[in-house]
Amino acid sequence: MTDLLAHLGRWSLGFFERLGRGHMFLVSLIAALPQLAVQWRLVVVQIWSTGVQSLSIIVVSGTFVGMVLALQGYNTLVDFGAAESLGIVVAKSLTRELGPVIAALLFAGRAGSALTAEIGFMKATEQLAGMEMMAVDPLRRVVAPRYLGGVIAMPLLATIFTAVGILGGFFTGVGMLGVDDGAFWSQMQASVTLKEDVFNGVIVKSLVFGAVVCWISVFEGYDAVPTSEGVSAATTRTVVHSSLAILGLDFVLTALMFNK
Amino acid sequence: MSRVCIPAGNARGQGWATGGKFLILCRHAQPRSPTASYQSAAPARGVRREPRILSVNVPANIPGDDPLVAIRDLRFSRGDRLILDGIDIDIPRGKITAILGPSGTGKTTLLRMIGAQLYPEAGTVTVDGQNVHKLDRKSLYALRKRMGMLFQAGALLTDIDVFENVAFPLREHTDLPEAMIRNIVLMKLELVGLRGARRLYPRELSGGMARRVALARAIALDPMMIMYDEPFSGQDPISMGILVELIKELNHALGLTSVLVTHDVAETAGIADYMYVLSGSKVIGHGTPDELARDGSAMVKQFLQGLPDGPVAFHYPAEEFTADLIAGSEA
Repeated sequence: MTDLLAHLGRWSLGFFERLGRGHMFLVSLIAALPQLAVQWRLVVVQIWSTGVQSLSIIVVSGTFVGMVLALQGYNTLVDFGAAESLGIVVAKSLTRELGPVIAALLFAGRAGSALTAEIGFMKATEQLAGMEMMAVDPLRRVVAPRYLGGVIAMPLLATIFTAVGILGGFFTGVGMLGVDDGAFWSQMQASVTLKEDVFNGVIVKSLVFGAVVCWISVFEGYDAVPTSEGVSAATTRTVVHSSLAILGLDFVLTALMFNK
Repeated sequence: MSRVCIPAGNARGQGWATGGKFLILCRHAQPRSPTASYQSAAPARGVRREPRILSVNVPANIPGDDPLVAIRDLRFSRGDRLILDGIDIDIPRGKITAILGPSGTGKTTLLRMIGAQLYPEAGTVTVDGQNVHKLDRKSLYALRKRMGMLFQAGALLTDIDVFENVAFPLREHTDLPEAMIRNIVLMKLELVGLRGARRLYPRELSGGMARRVALARAIALDPMMIMYDEPFSGQDPISMGILVELIKELNHALGLTSVLVTHDVAETAGIADYMYVLSGSKVIGHGTPDELARDGSAMVKQFLQGLPDGPVAFHYPAEEFTADLIAGSEA
């Protein structure tokens, strides 16, 4: 029993110590962001690396999610004679939940893990220490551009995911299941609002997810034990912690935004 | 073949201001093959040489009683393990000082203390009159611009090529026009014999070439000192010979202060002006290579002569062998 308590105490101390370190890291990271104004090219490179290079998985996944959503929605709505409302179901589901959440989960798996592995590898091969000895702050030169690039890329990816998802739903609903295309688009237009669904649902949620996923990713890389096992463990932690954070934050944000 | 004078100072004009410090390099007209850089020091007729410093005017002011780096009563632990205990070391200006010792004795830790990448539990490290562990970030970075460090693995940035690696500190710390950066980078690469490899990526370099590129990068800002972390480990004899020559010639030509952390005794003794031997967290001997060779200490003798057994035991501490075997069979 004493051993169990001691183990629990050690685990708790380690957890809170790491949480504190992570927050101190975030403060230093945010303080370094203004300096990127003169080195904006570094951010553009990272938007390409985290955003453009994630496009294929986002587009393919978005299309299939939209198609499946339309298929399932049609099967339910048709029993109530409301198949023409398929556009609303697809658009609302994608803008409020599936678009930002699935895009963020894919982003964590594709770009977040790559960020952790890259920074962890740079640490293991002394590239970060080398920069420090050249009087170059690795937080400013390496970490901050990757963080900001990821935060900018995330809402763009979520928007693209949502848009191609709606097109996938249109293709299945109208093209395959015979829903009237005028009803599909007009009901969607009448129901989806710019502020609640597009801005709150897609943009704000994905911006928050992007900020948290990128924070976890760069911190795990920067804090990784500089060995191959250490970098591997850090990459795994990035995907697990990011996924849990996305799902937890989604509930909180949904409760705040859409609770009537 | 033609001769070209290159100022040994940096692009901010320090080289010109100090006066009298000029490297005279061989410049070759024909392009160099990648393997040619491994030619021995005395090539056959018609075979190209490494870029050699033909004449050197060493700065006159190399004081002996004003060390560039002064380490006093330094103490550092990792967990329960004491790494450094009461270390006192002086690194004289303009000389090559070697810090030798078996693996795991804290030599690299000591270098990181000098660069203020690690902080000691007790003691001081003073570089050029400044206590590095008391400096604020801005002052520390200003000091680090005057300190080069060659890491064991080279620490080259893997996503950019050789040219950009050497240009990296210049782009970060100066506003020089592109044409001048190009010239400086090519001069530095010529010094280490890798001008022809400037478009290669670090993954395409051998271990020795990577260290030479890292050396070119370390001298890009013309620092006052360079710290070498195990520069010879894992090198073939040719690469090792090239590195030994480069360290010696760069030190003398540029008026640098060099700190060499290594366990390669023979190569180091050939170029070092002064040597310290670390073992068991302490300095167990120091002196010129000749003085250390005559040192009567059993520990120094064991390390310098590479004896398998001595004060540093061959066996890691363990219980008595027979008792250990019996305990295993009973289990």
